[in-house]
Amino acid sequence: MKFKIDRHILLRPTSLLGLGVVALHLILAIGAPWIAPYDPTALMGGRIESPSAEFWMGTDALGRDYLTRLLYGGRTALLATFTGVVAAVSIGSILGVAAAYFGGLFDDVMMRICELKLALPGILFVALFVTGFGESMLTLIVLIGLVYFPGVVRIVRAQALTQVNLGYVKAAQLRGESALAVILREIYPNTLDVVYVEFAIRMSHAILLLSTLSFLGLGISPPTPDWGLMVSEGVAQIAYAPWLVLAPAIFISTLVLGLNFGAEALASALGLDATRGHVEGS
Amino acid sequence: MNRLEVNGLNIGYRKTSGEVVPAVRRVNFTLKAGMSLGIVGESGSGKSTVARALLGHCRPGGVITSGAVRMAGQDILALPEAERRALRGRHIAFVPQNPLSSLTPHLRIGDQVLEAVRHLRGFDKERARARVLELFEATNLPKPQELYERYPHQLSGGQRQRVVIAAALAGEPELLVLDEPTTALDKTTEAQVLELVRELRERFNASLVYVSHDLGMVSRMCDRVIVMHQGRIVEEGAASTIFSAPSHEYTRQLIAAIPRIDAPVAERPMRQTDSPPVLEARHLRFSYGATGGWFRRTRAEAPVVLEDLSFTIRRGETLGLVGESGSGKSTAAALVAGMLSTDQGSMAFNGKPLPGLATQRPLALRRQIQIVFQDPLSSLNPRQRIETILSRPLAMFEGLKGDAARARCEELMRDMHLSPDLLECYPRQLSGGQQQRVAIARAFAARPELIICDEVTSALDVSVQAQVLDLLMELQRSKGTSYLFITHDLGVIRRMADHLIVLQNGRVRESGPTEQVFDRPQSPYTRLLLDAASLHAVQPLAQAVSRHRVSPVPTSSHETDPHHRSTPGQARQLPAWP
Repeated sequence: MKFKIDRHILLRPTSLLGLGVVALHLILAIGAPWIAPYDPTALMGGRIESPSAEFWMGTDALGRDYLTRLLYGGRTALLATFTGVVAAVSIGSILGVAAAYFGGLFDDVMMRICELKLALPGILFVALFVTGFGESMLTLIVLIGLVYFPGVVRIVRAQALTQVNLGYVKAAQLRGESALAVILREIYPNTLDVVYVEFAIRMSHAILLLSTLSFLGLGISPPTPDWGLMVSEGVAQIAYAPWLVLAPAIFISTLVLGLNFGAEALASALGLDATRGHVEGS
Repeated sequence: MNRLEVNGLNIGYRKTSGEVVPAVRRVNFTLKAGMSLGIVGESGSGKSTVARALLGHCRPGGVITSGAVRMAGQDILALPEAERRALRGRHIAFVPQNPLSSLTPHLRIGDQVLEAVRHLRGFDKERARARVLELFEATNLPKPQELYERYPHQLSGGQRQRVVIAAALAGEPELLVLDEPTTALDKTTEAQVLELVRELRERFNASLVYVSHDLGMVSRMCDRVIVMHQGRIVEEGAASTIFSAPSHEYTRQLIAAIPRIDAPVAERPMRQTDSPPVLEARHLRFSYGATGGWFRRTRAEAPVVLEDLSFTIRRGETLGLVGESGSGKSTAAALVAGMLSTDQGSMAFNGKPLPGLATQRPLALRRQIQIVFQDPLSSLNPRQRIETILSRPLAMFEGLKGDAARARCEELMRDMHLSPDLLECYPRQLSGGQQQRVAIARAFAARPELIICDEVTSALDVSVQAQVLDLLMELQRSKGTSYLFITHDLGVIRRMADHLIVLQNGRVRESGPTEQVFDRPQSPYTRLLLDAASLHAVQPLAQAVSRHRVSPVPTSSHETDPHHRSTPGQARQLPAWP
């Protein structure tokens, strides 16, 4: 029983729905090259064709198959956000544990950096960053990492603070373990449940952020298929081809919703939410 | 007529799977007006669950599956919730275990009790306020007027418990249910609170249900005693007879397991007093604040926690440090362990100077001084298997890896009378006693010469506590390890220690061979401690009452408010170990 996971909570309808939707998105994104009927950048048909047997979701303004682009769009979204969030969560959580462990100046400096970031208006920061470093996949990944790590630091630090004064940490210190060993071997594993939940929540935020950026023209650049970009391109045709906006919007919102339900289910299954009454003997 | 009648009470806890696990089975008892009943049992015996059910209440997940609780003939479990709520406070009141968490931190003490008085008695503000002050006086709280304006964190533990009792009395209930009201308090404070409860019971003519794990204390507080084990009543009888003639095997075990301060120090093997000293400490002094953090200025008047402590521990010997909370005994442990460094004074280990902080000590020295903590669960990493926990010191101190380490782990487990199969488990899967044995095994893994035992048994039930103490003595005999044994429990220390130091407010009040301190205490403080503790010794009720109409311990320093001069904002916080 490495983690005390409550299976009954994972089997609740909302949990199943959330986890199922996320799983479906993952399958579609990973399997896109095999599932998708056409090449995402190939001009296959006429401009803005309505859904038909040949083009299930119609074609876009350049005559590319819309279904193919939707499927490939998931790859872009998930790849960029996953890499960025993994970076944010792994770096942020270790810094958070370190801040709690060392305390003092290191903790103070870490916390001020986080507060500085949290005090900056998000979109402004993002816009400046993208303008400064140019629009590329790498810029976006680094950006997502930068945007989300302060929150992770704070959450994980709070969790680690409950641990640093416990006997097992003291025992390790008295044994003469190095600071790195105490942080990584003793304390870090005890913050992992928070870290996992944090990862799921940040993922859903990051997907929204990436779509927003692409919609504003600050994110993924054409011709790479991306949902945010597709919404923005489809807006002009919304009067007579509403599916061009609706389809990518539905893909974005189901993925975000699924991640949110999934994160919530994970949090309660790990016993991290305060709302669930706990059962104990006398 | 019976004031309280409990018939066939069954209570269970609902697991998330929906299945109800029985926690209390077929509990029956009656309580006459003005009488008191004690419910005794280990943790998990269902005693607190029964106590709550008397108010028609359950912990989250709890379900009363069947049975009746009759107050003056009326089954309160059959009443609708609204009527049941009207009963609470007016006819039956509850005093919970932890007084700090049952008071709201941001409200003034007086206002919290005022709310209870106004709600229960319907008084207007002026009258209610006068009533609150009366209640504070009745519960022997000092300076009621001043106390009214204080916040919970500014009160001592004993004062908080008095406030909670005052609030429980607000509605002048006929029945008072006290759930381990003194477990969180030290012995002298506990004695005062018990005396208060006894007094109030007579004054308010209330019936009492007293829940505790302390059989000795309950048998002196109550007329009748119920012993619970695994959700069932195993014995019921008059308090005076339950000790002299326990009929159930479990009760006999409970009685035998209580460390008695009047027990002969017999089983201890005689020690050669001339064995070489392992640790010598001279004039240790410690104050918080002397060593400041990054931005913290050194305070001119740092509170002194420990002053002029000197002692010698010889090979194979146990030195006991006794005192109430705040006496500096845990600070002494932290100094020897190297968690804190002294302001003044010096320590020598095997004749060589011992550096203050563990990080400054060479590996060989760190290995020779080990520590076992109070709370076994938190001293074991919850994400590591027992084998991993034990292997780490083996790898560090002995360079053992792989099969050799595994073999040594199994040997250690057998030394602790634990099955080597448990090496695969995580700490949470073990019982409290097993966890503490693993923590002891981890200390012995380094083959140390000195082990610091910091309240190692205070988190355990009495019967488990006895087993752990026996184990420690057995290990000491076979391995010749010295112990620095720290506790607030005089019964435990009498059993374990060869020499004893009594600490109060960071100063040594008395020291000497254990027997001498117990038989011929020199300082008034030691006598006070022994008096308070003998209140808990096992003896017939009549005798206890006549001997211990406790002279209310006068203005002793720990009952006076520790935060007297401080304002809420700058309340002193308990310093944590770095």
